[in-house]
Amino acid sequence: MKSLHQRIGPWLTKYLALPSDVILELPRITMIGQIHVYIENHQGLVTYSETELKLKTKKGFIQILGSSFVLKTMLPEEILLEGNITEVKFLPG
Amino acid sequence: MKKIQGSYITGSVTILVTGHKPELFFQKCVKRGVPVWDIKKQGKTECSGKVRLHDIKNIKRIRRETNYKIAFIDKSGTPFLLKRITRRKEIVFGLLISILLIIFLSNIIWEVKITSVSKDTEKKIVKQLNNYGVHPGAWSLSQAPPSVLQQKLVNDIPELLWIGVSKKGTTYYLEGVEKSIVKEKEVQGPRNLVATKKGVIKNMYVSKGLSKVRVNDYVEPGDILVSGKIDPAGESESDKKKNEGKSKYVTAEGEIIAETWYKTEVTVPLNANFELLTGEKEKKYSLKFGDFKVPIWGFGEPEYENIHKEINENPINFFKWELPINFVETTLNEKTYNKVKRTKEEAINVGIKQAKSELLLRLEPDAKIISEKILQETTENGKVKLILYMMVEEDIARADPIQGD
Repeated sequence: MKSLHQRIGPWLTKYLALPSDVILELPRITMIGQIHVYIENHQGLVTYSETELKLKTKKGFIQILGSSFVLKTMLPEEILLEGNITEVKFLPG
Repeated sequence: MKKIQGSYITGSVTILVTGHKPELFFQKCVKRGVPVWDIKKQGKTECSGKVRLHDIKNIKRIRRETNYKIAFIDKSGTPFLLKRITRRKEIVFGLLISILLIIFLSNIIWEVKITSVSKDTEKKIVKQLNNYGVHPGAWSLSQAPPSVLQQKLVNDIPELLWIGVSKKGTTYYLEGVEKSIVKEKEVQGPRNLVATKKGVIKNMYVSKGLSKVRVNDYVEPGDILVSGKIDPAGESESDKKKNEGKSKYVTAEGEIIAETWYKTEVTVPLNANFELLTGEKEKKYSLKFGDFKVPIWGFGEPEYENIHKEINENPINFFKWELPINFVETTLNEKTYNKVKRTKEEAINVGIKQAKSELLLRLEPDAKIISEKILQETTENGKVKLILYMMVEEDIARADPIQGD
């Protein structure tokens, strides 16, 4: 069942133009310049400090580096990060 | 974002979490559905964040399951603000008193301004207004509306032709027009006295002029009663001819009392209903917010059988603005319904009386009704219809100047 789901997902996004973040359960990252990052669909916070934010996702981690970080909002599956962002990295889990 | 909107109204608390990897505590909170915002890392083991006031219970529960330490470092929002204000009772009390005082003072009559009338009339108006209870310092909530005052004043002060009453804030403005009594101009110079109505002369008092009619003569309107033209006396025809054109003109003066007739019609119902106030009354006061009425004084209905209600509504002012609150004064008067049944004779008597007083109103004040006669009398639908014939004695003379001939 799961393999069918995994196979049908990319097909749906490709031919039916459904939003890929919903179908493939990938995080959606919205950035405003380098001051805001808005991450939806993550699986939880791993580390947070003034200079680093690490979030768990289905297939690994997202690491955001920069300085003077503040978590403006934190809801079950969304995070709004404010600060001076320099890097966004995808780390394999 | 929606969840933390309006947190200022519901109140929020800043907490400081200490322990190993303090951000994970917030992660736990979020997983439990407790929104957190403005998370800042203060050091390696310290992290602060804001939570809603009513989530504190949940936070404490989560803390028990972990070994983080929590300190409340700041609070903001209206619940805390209110608490701080209510702790100072004097301020709240003073504020309340001052608002009440302003409302109280805004609903007092401060000034009554009367314009465009003479000093005399102004004094009379002020006196009447005092009688009605409209004077500086009076409570303006129980006042009758300006239109009623206007009517009362015109009725009670005969010198007033018209008066406009308007209320602006705490001031009553009255603008009056006085009656100027114009005396009828007496015709000077040569004049005749002419009949104004047809009638039979009863009495004549001629002080100047030559009377042209005699007692018991029938006159038509326009007939000359007393002539102002006096021909010189002469016995013979020749004398008269000689003196022609030398006639003297005088101002005829006199009173000609004649008997005149009037036909009037009256209808008198055999059964009459009328309402009478017994004088027993009760007053009720209430505040009205829109359509909602809150009684403040006078509860329960009086035990009157029939009630005549008088409702007087006045808006409450705050400075110059009218608040959407009305002060309502309801006066309940006891009334009785009276029924009168008349016999035919009584009805006729009433009819005659009525007709007489109606006629006297139309006539000059010195007119006298000497007799009346019923010409026709019919009873229809419980009403008696009378056609009356009245005989009146009155002065029918009117001055008429003689145009120069």
